Amino acid sequence: MSSNPGHEGALPHEEHGAHEDAGIGRFFFGRVPAGVHGGLKQYGLLAIFLAIITLVEFLIIVPEGLQGSSVVIAPLVILSVIKFFCVVAFFMHLKFESPLLWQIFVAGLALGLVVALSLVLLFGVFRPTPRAFSENRQAPFEHHAEEKPHYEALVVPTPCPVGACPTPGGNVPAPTGSHPGQALFVGVGGCSACHTIDGVAQGILGPPLNGIGSAAANRLPGYSAEEYIRESILEPDAHAAGTADGLSQDYDGNLMLSTMAGILPALSDEDIENLVDYLLTLQ
Amino acid sequence: MAHADTTHAPPAHEASAHPPAHEEETNTGISHRKLLMWVFLGSDCLFFGSLIATYMVYRGQSIVGPYPIDIIDVPITTISTFVLLMSSFTMVMAVAAARNGNQKRLIQWLVCTIVLGGGFIGFQVYEFNLFRVEGLRYETNLFSSTFFTLTGFHGAHVTLGIFWLICLAVISARNPAGRPSGEDVDIAGLYWHFVDIVWIVIFTLLYLIGGFDAGPDVGHAAAQGWQWITGIIT
Repeated sequence: MSSNPGHEGALPHEEHGAHEDAGIGRFFFGRVPAGVHGGLKQYGLLAIFLAIITLVEFLIIVPEGLQGSSVVIAPLVILSVIKFFCVVAFFMHLKFESPLLWQIFVAGLALGLVVALSLVLLFGVFRPTPRAFSENRQAPFEHHAEEKPHYEALVVPTPCPVGACPTPGGNVPAPTGSHPGQALFVGVGGCSACHTIDGVAQGILGPPLNGIGSAAANRLPGYSAEEYIRESILEPDAHAAGTADGLSQDYDGNLMLSTMAGILPALSDEDIENLVDYLLTLQ
Repeated sequence: MAHADTTHAPPAHEASAHPPAHEEETNTGISHRKLLMWVFLGSDCLFFGSLIATYMVYRGQSIVGPYPIDIIDVPITTISTFVLLMSSFTMVMAVAAARNGNQKRLIQWLVCTIVLGGGFIGFQVYEFNLFRVEGLRYETNLFSSTFFTLTGFHGAHVTLGIFWLICLAVISARNPAGRPSGEDVDIAGLYWHFVDIVWIVIFTLLYLIGGFDAGPDVGHAAAQGWQWITGIIT
């Protein structure tokens, strides 16, 4: 097209014929003066080349053994980098522009890459905790085309924000006719956001309370189970559960204090008694 | 035009093989609008770099499905990638037509580009809707949030580009003797190609490599990659 300067509806700003049509070899590989542009031949060839690369990329991951395999990462990345720079150099004309534009674009690109790499290194390599967290909390997914997908019901308990636990929405609902203390535990009390009781709640930020009714009696000499539980609720740091009881995990004491401080004022004395009563039933 | 000499910058038309008569003299020898577009594209690299990195960081971290392997359709997206790639070709032809002053061809190539861009958006709307029906909403899991944010912003860029090209086509059709100038189309073309190269990266990382990710399983390629990098560092 560029070898055939316009003849219909000419634009007044352009000087026709001022630029030459570089040969294909020179266009792609040679040194050409500024102002040289390609035409249908050059751009068409490049488009076919890019389409072939895209096809090759697709064919690479067709064999099932290669899908998601780390073997294909390098070839795929190399192919897309080739595509990327072909478009930048020829479609975006950067090969034929002032070096200043290269520098500007590459500076932005390099900054973007550094930011991306830093993020990935920070969260993906140096701090692997989130991945371990996910592994422990994973829920299976299965396809159910017709019915409502069951994973919608599988909402994971929200870790409570520092200060106050929200009313948990996603825990296993209390069975009907359950203990009023259990209703408090999974309901407005907010306990279930942090504590686990098998079949009732799945919190992980605080110690699990399975069998606390019997275990509490042996926690401290001189304390009955009831006294121990009540005091643990009212003064969360009085008998911090954790390593001493053979639990595998340490808990965040500051988070516990601030969270419990947000919850306690909302509970009446009767609520506390109901909770203690309920926890005592856990044998 | 190729000189960046600020002290003795020659008038743009002396260095340029195709001097746009209206172009003002700048001390970089590059028109301000074009320079600004490249600065913007450089900064947009940062924008998309951050979104892509966020996706990669949260890869394999979703604890509820659907996961990419349940839902990503690579063949369909390969077709839409091809469509967007071809729109880059028609766009560069439109730029060449504008530079040659061939108004009729310019409009034809612009319309081709608009149709192909619209086709790409059509594929994306189809894909998003399919995901919604399959139960993958924006807030479903980390995969859906990062996926929709990244591809959604890219789709918004394409949509904006389509509007831009429609404006150029309408202007050329209504005012054959005046605008758009070659540079007007050139700048729109730069934006359009940039959107294409962003998709080249997204297609490779999210579909070809990440499209087979399952749940929080350390066995997938990314985790192996991390272990490999960690092995080198430590």
